Amino acid sequence: MTNKFRGVMQSPVTPLKDDFSLDLATFEKVLDFHVRTGASAISWPHHKGESLNLTIEERKRFAEAAVKTVAGRIPVTIHVSALAVEDTFALARHAQDIGADGILAITPYFWTPTREAIHDYFVRLCGSIELPVLSYNSPSYLAGVEITGELMARLIERLPNFVGVKEASFNSEKFLEISRAALKLRPDFALVTGVEFLLPSVPLGGVGSYSAAGSICPNLCRDLFEACVAGDWPRARELQYKVSRLWALFRNQYPSSLKGGMVIMGRPVGPTRPPLPTASPERQAYIRAELEQLGILDTEPHGW
Amino acid sequence: MNAFQPGLVHLPVTPFTPDRRIDFDRLGRLIDFHIRNGADALALPTHAGESVSLTDGEKRMLIEFAVKHIAGRKPLIAHVSDAGTAIAAALARHVEAAGADAILVTTPYYWTPPPEMILEHFVEIGAAVRLPFLVHNAPEDMGGAKVSAELMLTLIGRLDNFAGLVDASLDWQFMLDLIMEARHARPGFLLISGTELMVSAAAIGATGMFAPLAGVAPNLLRALFELCRDDKLFEARAAQEEIARLRQLLKAGGVASLKAALAARGRDCGQPRPPLQALDRHAADALARHLDSIAALRDEPRGW
Repeated sequence: MTNKFRGVMQSPVTPLKDDFSLDLATFEKVLDFHVRTGASAISWPHHKGESLNLTIEERKRFAEAAVKTVAGRIPVTIHVSALAVEDTFALARHAQDIGADGILAITPYFWTPTREAIHDYFVRLCGSIELPVLSYNSPSYLAGVEITGELMARLIERLPNFVGVKEASFNSEKFLEISRAALKLRPDFALVTGVEFLLPSVPLGGVGSYSAAGSICPNLCRDLFEACVAGDWPRARELQYKVSRLWALFRNQYPSSLKGGMVIMGRPVGPTRPPLPTASPERQAYIRAELEQLGILDTEPHGW
Repeated sequence: MNAFQPGLVHLPVTPFTPDRRIDFDRLGRLIDFHIRNGADALALPTHAGESVSLTDGEKRMLIEFAVKHIAGRKPLIAHVSDAGTAIAAALARHVEAAGADAILVTTPYYWTPPPEMILEHFVEIGAAVRLPFLVHNAPEDMGGAKVSAELMLTLIGRLDNFAGLVDASLDWQFMLDLIMEARHARPGFLLISGTELMVSAAAIGATGMFAPLAGVAPNLLRALFELCRDDKLFEARAAQEEIARLRQLLKAGGVASLKAALAARGRDCGQPRPPLQALDRHAADALARHLDSIAALRDEPRGW
């Protein structure tokens, strides 16, 4: 199968009303905004979309809305990671039933499963559906629980629908071990970096990113990707430095700072569910000053 | 200060005689080998050179010997790390007087001081000399202790001769955070890849490489370095993957594997000093056979 999961893929935030309930009308606007501003695919709900603060029923409801709103214009994948593995399987099955184009799943949360347990988990998950499955490797957030290059190779050899990884170790050695093992066995395996670390990953076989900043600065994200695939490294460096400054801004109180930034860009999406904080007016003022200084307010779309 | 551009830095091992003294005769031959085979500069005695297993007197003798033997053919970066700040500062003064061209320092051994004291450690050692001062960020070697970008930016403000950082953390976020701010504060600040995994670091802005494997595969490393230096990052991937494979092969055995690999290539530098354990005969033979089977190493020099 030709891999369609590449480029700057957007994982929308989850808009909430003031009472923290889901805001469907704004979610549709967020999805349309991403499609219109050049996203190559949609994937929801990542941690940025507060996945773990949504009930399984809420996740299913908005997954349906995402597939329906995007309506085939670009691929939609559903992030199915949940604390209980049984919920993950239910979400995966549901994603297939509603016509999503693939799923994304992290290594199990909380427990520190052995390498064999991680292997068995992905074997079961991939065997439970026919959709393409992207794995999600985040060893620094998950206490060293990791899909190594060797494990990636075993999974690729065994599972025809194991098509890619959201790689969030952001480490030269870990990325290289995965790219070296995976691309040999499956040349179109999608190596996608977790946020916009395109500059260090594209030279080693990376094909895109799950964007963090795309709801703020889609133009910048697209320009960075294009500079990287064109091998225009001096320009890519300049753009990556700018994106990294933004990431330094947003990773502090992520994703509430991102939601705070969206207010400034004229795309308000409401508060963030506890235990995450909601960006205060002071925090928003700080974010505005930073965005101004980086020239984002002049170069990126305002409003929907 | 900014004129100091180390380029491809070879890291010679420290040869020992069978009765565990430094084998200066072989060290001289090894230095000549590195200079003939593509080194732009030499760093010694590094961790690959078992610096931690040398007495203070031996380190002084080794640097004095290396300065005389190199005789200005290439710059010499002297590694002066220690647990105690004053001990390292005294060694720094000694190697400056002996004629080294730059000094390299890690976080202190064993202790885990608060950031203010790590800063004092670097300031005191760096201020002891006028030579370019390089910090080696090597969390894997240092029990996880690493420096933050913020600490390094503070150090730029405190130390005029702080010329650059040698990164072995392989951490994209750290490298980006550091380089984009450091080059504002100190134009020409050096980011140097502290391992042979240079492509991502070069994309981010690294201009030099420390290569512990240079004694084994100098030609492959020279090719990789030049592609990275010339910003041919896509073209560098094949060489990078070969080097990554070699690095993984030798990684678990550390210096013992490195010395066994050198011996297998006809450059016997003896065994590591205790407490490191040499590879047993069986493992050394298996390693030699494995090296022989790697096509990418066929053009590498054998013997001295």
